[in-house]
Amino acid sequence: MRQGEIASKGKWTGNPTGGVKAPEPILLPDPSRRFADTAARLETLASGHPMEEWLRFMSRLSEAQHAAARDLPLPPATDPIDVKLAIDARMPPLAADGHRRPPEWRDILVHILDEDGLTGATAALSDAAARLKSLDADGVELLANRFLHGEVASEDAAAVLFLAAALQVYFTRMAANLKSPDLRLLTQRGLCPCCGSTPVAGTITASGDNPGTRYLHCSLCSTAWNHVRTVCITCGESRSVSLEGIEGDAGVVRAETCKDCSTYAKMIYLAKDTKADPFADDLASLGLDFLVAEVGWSRHAPNPLLLSASAG
Amino acid sequence: MQLSRRGFIKLTGAGLAASSLGALGFGPAGEAMAAAVRPFKLVAATETRNTCTYCSVACGILIYSMGDRAKNARSNIIHIEGDPDHPVNRGTLCPKGAGLLDVVHAPTRLKTPRYRAPGASEFKEVSWEFALGRIARLMKDDRDKNFIDKNKAGTTVNRWTTTGMLAASASSSETAYLTWKVARSLGMVVFDNQARV
Repeated sequence: MRQGEIASKGKWTGNPTGGVKAPEPILLPDPSRRFADTAARLETLASGHPMEEWLRFMSRLSEAQHAAARDLPLPPATDPIDVKLAIDARMPPLAADGHRRPPEWRDILVHILDEDGLTGATAALSDAAARLKSLDADGVELLANRFLHGEVASEDAAAVLFLAAALQVYFTRMAANLKSPDLRLLTQRGLCPCCGSTPVAGTITASGDNPGTRYLHCSLCSTAWNHVRTVCITCGESRSVSLEGIEGDAGVVRAETCKDCSTYAKMIYLAKDTKADPFADDLASLGLDFLVAEVGWSRHAPNPLLLSASAG
Repeated sequence: MQLSRRGFIKLTGAGLAASSLGALGFGPAGEAMAAAVRPFKLVAATETRNTCTYCSVACGILIYSMGDRAKNARSNIIHIEGDPDHPVNRGTLCPKGAGLLDVVHAPTRLKTPRYRAPGASEFKEVSWEFALGRIARLMKDDRDKNFIDKNKAGTTVNRWTTTGMLAASASSSETAYLTWKVARSLGMVVFDNQARV
């Protein structure tokens, strides 16, 4: 409009916010894609990788998780009243350490252990699978409880891998059944709003309505939730946060370190690789963990499929 | 040795024997990984929150610099983008904001006060002391000459209308408060904040 011209009297029909809107706080997982995506990404990353053999095994494990999520009937849903009570109290509705699992979850474990060619990769794996199969229901529940809210002995580490994989499938399907408008972020922003677990890694989105938003991905139920960037996900401080990466690499995975609590968490920049998957890329970037651990940083929490002795 | 899915851990090549990787019989893969990264080193970058300098919309920006703010390292700004967490702009920037990196590194950017004497054809660099002294002198002279303490009816008004002030757009509330106090205590009435660009 030229100056001095008379303004249009018609009704304005634009988007009042110019398309700028707040990001979704919580993205519930899609069990039909979550494990298949991780399996495919691990397969891609495995070629020529120093840990090729292990990554290919982890890819097959993800495929077994996908098959279990696809083939088995849905576990009974959590009582909506319990969900509401938990959310009103700002507690996770599927709290990993308080939630009562129906016995059907053990079918997932059996389904994964029966997957063709999965447990034959190493002697330790077939031993662990045989041991899990020989355990009675109480034995499996005991080990699952130790994994979910306590510590497991290092001699159980191989068996716990399959348990963790089965519990991931169970919790992912349960979380997918919740209704996201009801859910609220926890006051501890670094923990999953569905199950209260620590995230496996964060992604910085590159597409959608809010490119550049950070989502943390739950290590147990695969829920993604929004977390402000450039703030330590462990202690919430921002004054001494920086990003460490391997010199000369593509910069897809970087460790966000915080001097206030001496920890780091891995962040995955989807702008650098749109196909990156937090669960797969976290495992494949173990070399970055080695380098930052050498300088003295502690990882915020383990990947449940790669448990390690605590930092003491 | 106990393993837990919660709590801080240190993932080192030497510690892998006691991890899931070692227990599964994939220890050699971990050793190969440790050997593969040994020749490499880490490079640090920092993301810093700030506010765009341009206008009073005050969009949030994230500034990327090389280095981890260590005392003996010189940081270099390499990238600036909209802050996706900022409620005002949610990661978006206007073309001027999107060009901020070039403002930071512009060779023509003003870094020192400059002065063009009456009648001179060129600016020359001067000290802050000179510049502030000169501004204060001219303001004082103008105020002494044009200050209006009473209007026609004899009411005290204490106005200084011959000098005005245009204040910055990206001021914090505290800065804006102090600016207002300074301008108004001099009797200045021609006073605005740069609310539109």
